[in-house]
Amino acid sequence: MKTPRPLVPVPPVAGRTLDAQLHLLDRQVLDNDGVPVTTVDDLELSPPGSGPEIPEGTPAPVITALLTGPILGTRIFGGRPPSSRLIRIPWKDVADVGVVVRLGVSGQNLDADWVERWIRDKIIARIPGGSRDPR
Amino acid sequence: MKRILGVALGILTAIGGFVDIGDLVTNAVVGSRFGLSLIWVVGVGVAGICIFANMSGRVAAASGRATFEVIRERLGPRAGLANLSASFFINLMTVTAELGGIALALQLATSVHYLLLIPVAVVAVWLVIWRVKFSIMENVTGLLGLALIVFVVALFLLKPDWGSLAGQALAPAVPDEETGAAYWYFAIALFGAAMTPYEVFFFSSGAVEEGWTIKDLIQSRINVLVGFPLGGLLSVAIAACAAVVLLPAGIAVTSISQVILPVAEGAGKLGLAFVLVGLVAATFGAALETTLSSGYTLAQFFGWSWGKFRRPAQAARFHLSMIICLLIGVAVLSTGVDPVLITEYSVVFSAVALPLTYLPILIVANDPQYMGGHVNGRGVNVLAMIYLVVILAASLAAIPLMIVTGAGS
Amino acid sequence: MILGDLLGTPVFDDDGVRLGRVADARFVVDGVPPQLMADARLLGLVVSPHSWSSFLGYERNSLTQPWPLPALLRWRHSGSFLVMWADIAMIGDGSVRLRRGYTAYSPALDGDGQE
Repeated sequence: MKTPRPLVPVPPVAGRTLDAQLHLLDRQVLDNDGVPVTTVDDLELSPPGSGPEIPEGTPAPVITALLTGPILGTRIFGGRPPSSRLIRIPWKDVADVGVVVRLGVSGQNLDADWVERWIRDKIIARIPGGSRDPR
Repeated sequence: MKRILGVALGILTAIGGFVDIGDLVTNAVVGSRFGLSLIWVVGVGVAGICIFANMSGRVAAASGRATFEVIRERLGPRAGLANLSASFFINLMTVTAELGGIALALQLATSVHYLLLIPVAVVAVWLVIWRVKFSIMENVTGLLGLALIVFVVALFLLKPDWGSLAGQALAPAVPDEETGAAYWYFAIALFGAAMTPYEVFFFSSGAVEEGWTIKDLIQSRINVLVGFPLGGLLSVAIAACAAVVLLPAGIAVTSISQVILPVAEGAGKLGLAFVLVGLVAATFGAALETTLSSGYTLAQFFGWSWGKFRRPAQAARFHLSMIICLLIGVAVLSTGVDPVLITEYSVVFSAVALPLTYLPILIVANDPQYMGGHVNGRGVNVLAMIYLVVILAASLAAIPLMIVTGAGS
Repeated sequence: MILGDLLGTPVFDDDGVRLGRVADARFVVDGVPPQLMADARLLGLVVSPHSWSSFLGYERNSLTQPWPLPALLRWRHSGSFLVMWADIAMIGDGSVRLRRGYTAYSPALDGDGQE
């Protein structure tokens, strides 16, 4: 269980490093107007290869999407929702990662926001005053 | 001039907004059974809430992140969900207790049975959440809550034996007819009532609602450091009134009418009018804060859009969840369960959930990623760590003491 | 591949000796951004011999306040190391295997949460 060898510092890499647990998972996701969309419930990576064995020289996987929705439940309680039920926010829509993850697109058109839109259209917007600006 | 007015308004709001049904009931119960021998706990609790409310406000101002976002991010989904479940359950209990408190206070004023007044209370609370601007909501309930100062006035008018009161407070001892376990059980209840987690959720979310920046921190610090201790003084006055009038008469508080009995005796009809206004305002204000806190915690854990500064349609799940919470509160109250009893349990459960709330705040307040140059000073960290140990001890002891003492009876 | 499946997976060396569990995955954002942000490429995995749960974010930064929490939590993660992607031989359902002669790098980040 021990690692006997002394640890070597990581050779310097160009660009920013992100540790998934420390910098990505469970962070708030905001859209391009600063409106909260969801949290980063999990991450989807590109498949490393065709099988479990990874031949030398295989390019490293990249983050393809932030995941949200039922995946949160399975991350807490175990199990796995079917791939069709994963709600993805493509990595190409991510504009910046700081103490929040900012998207470069509006939340209005994202699958991740469909519950919010459904509740808004079916319930909240129908109550008088639901669309009034409080300020 | 405008600035001074702003500071004064902030302080007054903090004082008036400090006391809620939990403080009212617990302090009166404790005063009527233990005199002032437990009053040191109020001091410990108020100092604690000052430290942590201030810290959560600073985190919100520096990073724009409210407390439950931070809790989820630091504790991860599992521990975060456990914390959410506990906090949300306690919050719901507190919402229920405050709604019942409004109805009971209105019953004292109108002589209509409180169960008939619950729909009035809940609709009024919802309408304010739905329509009224955040700062107006805070200031109006806070200022009206100041009417509770009548407890201080009544205490003076009762002309108590100040020496004996000071003796009870300064040399605390367990009264002969009470057990040590009951003494410590109520110590935890008072601590939980002063440090209820919803105050921190509300305070930090309120900072985001009002768009605080680092520049607003001085004002917020004054509000907290002056307003909360003065609010704590109101709590002490409630306990002292009970100690002077109810303890000698052998009345242990079990209802709201007994809480305000000393005011009626000391300050007469006018005092009674004031205390009723104060009661309604304090419970109403706290009902708003706890209902909003339920919405805040859920929305921040799941990453929903939230805030009263948005149109309700732009924070749909947030508003829907608060409507559901209020309906649950009404459903529980309509069974006829005593709101005072719910209050007594809610403050003890609050104490149980305290560590999981305060630890993540302390940690993030030390993280330069979030705070930039505004991380905690060393002195604040030492105090906060001492408090965490106290909070942990109270949290671990709460349930065993509840069982041993039969919830303090 | 979903990251959540990888976290907590036991890690073995080429001889089948258990080294710990996957505690985290480190990505590096480099290259020319074709869109808003460049691709986040998997740099390597952080392997921890004791506890794989991330706790409060102390395990890889250099914060020391509030005493004594950082020291305690870092101790829980002592012995953890970073292996580069090139040193990973197999990612299976319930295990990760490293290549012979893999290098164990220090997983530390600096005060700003960067390497």
